[in-house]
Amino acid sequence: MAPIIEVKDYTWRYLHTTEPALKNINLQIEEGTFLGIIGPNGSGKTTLANSIDGLIPGQYHGIKKGVVNIRGKEVEDYAKGSLQRTIGMVFSDPEAQFTAMTVEDELVFGMENLGMTIPEIRERLAWVTELTGLAPLIDKPPYEISGGQKQRVALAAVLAMKPEILILDEPTSMLDPISRKQVFAVLSKMKQEQNSTIVVIEHSLENLVPLADRMALLYAGELLFEDETHHFFQRMDLLLEKDVLPPGALHFFHHLIQAGYYNGRIPLTAVDAAEKLAQIMKKSVEEAKS
Amino acid sequence: MRKTLLGYVPDESPIYAIHPFVKLFFLLVVSLFPMFITPPEWNLFLMLFLLGAMWYSKVNMSTLRIYVPVAVSMGTIILLSYTVLGGTHPEYQLLYKIAGIKIYWERIRDAIVVYFRILPMIFSMVFFLSTSRERDVIVAMRSIRLPFIVTYIFAMSLRAAGMVLEDFHIVRQAEKARGFDPAGKSLYYKIRQYVMYMIPLFALSLRRSEDFTNALVARGYAFTGEASRVKRADYVLTHYTFTTLDMVLTIIIGLSFVAILYLRYGLGYLDLDSSWFLSWLQGAIT
Repeated sequence: MAPIIEVKDYTWRYLHTTEPALKNINLQIEEGTFLGIIGPNGSGKTTLANSIDGLIPGQYHGIKKGVVNIRGKEVEDYAKGSLQRTIGMVFSDPEAQFTAMTVEDELVFGMENLGMTIPEIRERLAWVTELTGLAPLIDKPPYEISGGQKQRVALAAVLAMKPEILILDEPTSMLDPISRKQVFAVLSKMKQEQNSTIVVIEHSLENLVPLADRMALLYAGELLFEDETHHFFQRMDLLLEKDVLPPGALHFFHHLIQAGYYNGRIPLTAVDAAEKLAQIMKKSVEEAKS
Repeated sequence: MRKTLLGYVPDESPIYAIHPFVKLFFLLVVSLFPMFITPPEWNLFLMLFLLGAMWYSKVNMSTLRIYVPVAVSMGTIILLSYTVLGGTHPEYQLLYKIAGIKIYWERIRDAIVVYFRILPMIFSMVFFLSTSRERDVIVAMRSIRLPFIVTYIFAMSLRAAGMVLEDFHIVRQAEKARGFDPAGKSLYYKIRQYVMYMIPLFALSLRRSEDFTNALVARGYAFTGEASRVKRADYVLTHYTFTTLDMVLTIIIGLSFVAILYLRYGLGYLDLDSSWFLSWLQGAIT
């Protein structure tokens, strides 16, 4: 099956800069995949997201080499405004994304742009407010609600358009831990119920890792490696060398491996880590007894 | 409580029964009334009517106190402009001569007429802003079939104004945190140092514009091309119904305007000579 997103030999340099923001990127994303992209600031994560969404080269000036294909068609070949019917993008600053005066207007804006009818909009609105838990806020101005609620509104506004691909650029960077969980809970539902293709750029890995099917590491504009999440985190030394701070549980097991107490697969969540640790301790106790 | 452009109005206010178009029509038409009414007493009645409408709509009347200094300073400026700075007019009736400045009755009269014309105009705007949300303005504009782009740009300008004020507040707090606080300094100093606020504010505005453009593109909005020709459903309008009451109110407002025009130009009422207040005042001060 052809990948839904294909980035081939892609290099992008912004105008008036000397170094490319992205260098020779090759990436294929299959339909229904949840991909997490990580990397330190300035590594080109947002540029990659904007390149997939068509904001680059549409909204930015620069020099491009290579291709970015969405469903086999290059992003530049899509008519103005049509690529956004396939790809939904959520940015890091929720405040800057609001285009309307109430949460409801914000949610319906994208659907109106798609030319949906009133009954369709009404039905979709009910679905998305249920999914994101925004029904009680529907009449409020989006700039008067909390940070977590704002980001859920921004996410819901994009989900309402039911894009085939959802790209989230550091969606929780301005949120508290509870709000982060709420945003990822919505993404989890999207993954399970809609089988959407989701690309999330994120620094905070605690919530991302359990959901991601695959992970990619960008560093200084280069895609260092991309793999299934389990395999990805087995290369912990490289991740640490490239300034990636994995969740505490992963870090802990990495230390156990280094100290020679464990030689299995690194668990990805705190729950898995607790179970693994319990097994190790039980085994040690049994070995000590015998 | 629901937030309006100038404050909050309780949920049980009868104003919510009125279609936003009627409110906008009221603003546009009633604010024209004083242009055709010269006697100050009639304009004063109009102002009292507007105050009554605000009270009936359950607008918090105590918030009107903030307009008292505006009203006083505006009145003073108008009076000084017409009298002290009014020039020499031998054809006018001279009342006093103070330090070489001639004060004429006609100039005082004109100042009062202008002042009492402006006040109801301001109050009709205050009434509208106190009882309308941003959404109401947009709905009213869309109800009269203004192009989407026009209403959208208007909505964006409202939103941008709020964002700039918010950013200004953030910048000011940041400057204060670094020890820059012009409080208590001279006006000249404040103006000179204002650039400290303006540069980061300008930079923030540029960044916001970029974010905002990206958000519009990401939501599938296009000003040109195929996507811009999509027939848009106006979902927000489905929440509003133009009722018989709205129709009646619109007709009353329209007919009132016609009646004022007829009284003024058809029957010759509502001009300077028909003002009993000005006649009384002239008798009192001359």
